[in-house]
Amino acid sequence: VTVAKRDIFLCFALTAATALVPLVTGTRYIITQMTLFFIWTMVVTQWNLVLGVAGIFSLAQMALFAAGAYATAMLGYYFAVPMILAMPAAALAAVFVSVVIGLACLRLRGPYVALLTLAIAQVIYLIVVNDTECFTNPPSGCMPLFGGVRGFSRFGDLGFRSLLGSKWYIAHFYVGLAMLMLATLFSIAIIRGPLGLAFQALRDNPGYAMSRGISKFKYQLWVFGLSAFFTGLAGALYAVQFGVVGPIVFSLATLLFLLSMIVVGGMGTVWGPLLGAAVLMLADEGMREIGDWRDIGLGLILVLFVVLLPKGLAGLRLTQVSAKRGE
Amino acid sequence: VDVLVQIVASGLTLGAMYAVSTVGLALVYGSLNMLNMSHGALLALGGYVCFYVMTALGLPAIAGVAAAMIICGLAGLAIYHIAARPMLPSRNFETQIFIATIGIGTVLENFILRVFGPQPVAQPLNLKGALVIGGVHIPNQNILIMAVAVAMMVAIAFLLNRTRTGRAIRATAQNRDAAQLMGIRIGRVYAKVLALSGALAALSGIMISSLSGLLPNMGGDPMLKAFVICVVAGLGNVFGAVSAAFVLGLLEAIIQYLLGVQYSFAILLLIVIAVLIWRPYGLFGKQQVVRL
Repeated sequence: VTVAKRDIFLCFALTAATALVPLVTGTRYIITQMTLFFIWTMVVTQWNLVLGVAGIFSLAQMALFAAGAYATAMLGYYFAVPMILAMPAAALAAVFVSVVIGLACLRLRGPYVALLTLAIAQVIYLIVVNDTECFTNPPSGCMPLFGGVRGFSRFGDLGFRSLLGSKWYIAHFYVGLAMLMLATLFSIAIIRGPLGLAFQALRDNPGYAMSRGISKFKYQLWVFGLSAFFTGLAGALYAVQFGVVGPIVFSLATLLFLLSMIVVGGMGTVWGPLLGAAVLMLADEGMREIGDWRDIGLGLILVLFVVLLPKGLAGLRLTQVSAKRGE
Repeated sequence: VDVLVQIVASGLTLGAMYAVSTVGLALVYGSLNMLNMSHGALLALGGYVCFYVMTALGLPAIAGVAAAMIICGLAGLAIYHIAARPMLPSRNFETQIFIATIGIGTVLENFILRVFGPQPVAQPLNLKGALVIGGVHIPNQNILIMAVAVAMMVAIAFLLNRTRTGRAIRATAQNRDAAQLMGIRIGRVYAKVLALSGALAALSGIMISSLSGLLPNMGGDPMLKAFVICVVAGLGNVFGAVSAAFVLGLLEAIIQYLLGVQYSFAILLLIVIAVLIWRPYGLFGKQQVVRL
C-alpha cells in the first residue's frame, strides 16, 4: 500500500466514523462545535499547503477566509443569489484574491512575505471597518458596501431551516463533513502529488530542481490559488452556519488560534493540521472554565510547542518511528 | 503657510515616534534575523510601567521612564533566553521565532489586560502648554517627543559607530560566523541587542501613550507601522529605517490632512505594498543577489 493510498483510506475511514456522531448524540452544542471544527480544519489544512508544504510564510489565510464569507453574504444580500450557488462563487472569489496576493509576494522572501500579507489583511480590515458611506439604505438602517462594523445578516441560508425545522444544524454538520473530506483529499493529492514533489525538490536542492525546469514562481502561484478554494468555501460555510458575517472574521485572535493548530499538529504534514485542530479545539473547550486566561494559555501553548517541539505532534510520532528504524 | 507648518509639525512628531520604535526592531532584525512580534506588547508594557510608577508609587517622571526602560529591557533579555537562544541553531529560525514571539506577545498583552483592566487610562507624563509659531499651536509634548527621539538617535548612532559593543553588533549583523571566528561572543551581542530593543520599545510606548492614552492592545498598530517602515527601508537597515520613519510620518500627516484620518493607514500600507513590488528588498536595502 502506498502512502497516498493509506492516507486516502484513512480519510474515508475518519469521515465514516465521524458521520456516525449525530446518531450517537443529539446534543446541539456538540454538533455545532464539531461543524465549527470542520470549518477551522478546512482552513488549516489549506493554510498548511502554503505554510508547511510550499514554505511560503503567508498570513493572508484569514483574509481569504473572510473573502469567502463576505462574498457569500454580499451575493445573498445584494443579489438574492441562492446560497448553494453563492458558496462556490465565493470560493472562486477567494481564489482570485489569493492569486493577486500571490503575485504581490512572488518576488519577496521569508519574513517580507509574512509582513506584506499581514499588511494586506489589515488594509482590507480597515477598509471594511472605516467605510461609513451608505451604499444602500434599507429600513433597518444605513448599509455600507462592505457592511461596515455591523457586517451582514439575513442573506439567506441553505434551506435546511425550512426543510428540517429545529434540526437544521445536523444537515450543516454533514455539509461541513463532506466539504472537509474533499478538502483533505485535495491536500493529500497536493502533498503526495506532483506539486508536493516539486516543492520538496525546490527545498532539498533548489539549483538542481530549477535546472530540471521546476519553476518556483509558477508552483508558488498554483499553491496560492488552489489552497484558496477550500479556504473560501470554509468561509462561505461559516457565513451560512452563523448567518452573520462581520469584521470579527479578520481578528488576530482567530489567526493566532489557527496558526497554533498548524504548529501544534506539525507543519507540512498531511494529518498534523487536523490533529492540531482537534487538540486545540478540545484545549479551548477545557480552558472555557478559566475564561479570561484562555488567551494566555493559548499563547503559552504556542511558545512551548515552537521552542520544545518545533515539528509538532505529527513530528513526535515520525521521529519515534525513524528512531526505531535506525536501531 | 500655517497649514504647512501644522502638517510638518505633526508629521515630524509622528516620524519621531515611529523612528524610536522602528530602530529597536531594525537592530534586532539586522543582527539576529528575528522579527519580534512581541514588540507591540513591550510598547504597552513600557507605557503601563511608567503609569504605575508615577501614579501608584507617586515617583517623579524620570523614575517612571527609567523603571519602564529597565523592565522592558529585562523582558527583552527574557525573550532572548526563553525563545531565541534555544531556537537559533534551527534551520527555520526566522519562521519559528516569528511564531514564538506572536505567542509571547499574546501572553504579555493579556497579562497587562488582567492586571490593569481594559479601560483606557491617561499617561501621567504629559507636558502642558504649547509653542506658538504664527497661528499654529505646537504642544510642548510634541516638542519633547521630537527632542527625546533626536537624542535617542544620536545615542544609538554613537553606540553603533563609536563603541566596542557597537562594533560587535555591526560585525555580527554583517556576518555571524565571521564575527564568531573573530572572538565575538555572539550570544552576548544578541542578548544586548534584545535588551536595548526592549528599552527603546518602553520609551516609544511612553511617547505614544502620552498622546493617545494607555490601552493593553495599544501596541498593535504602532508595531505594524514600525514593521512597515522597516520593510520599506529594507529589513535590518537602522539608518534607512530612521529616514523612512520620518518620510512616512510626514506622508501620513499629509494624507490625514487631505483625505481624513480613517484612510491614512490603509493608504500608507498600499504605498508600501507598491514599493515592495517595485523594490522587493526595500528602498535602502542592498539588492541581494539570489540566483535561485
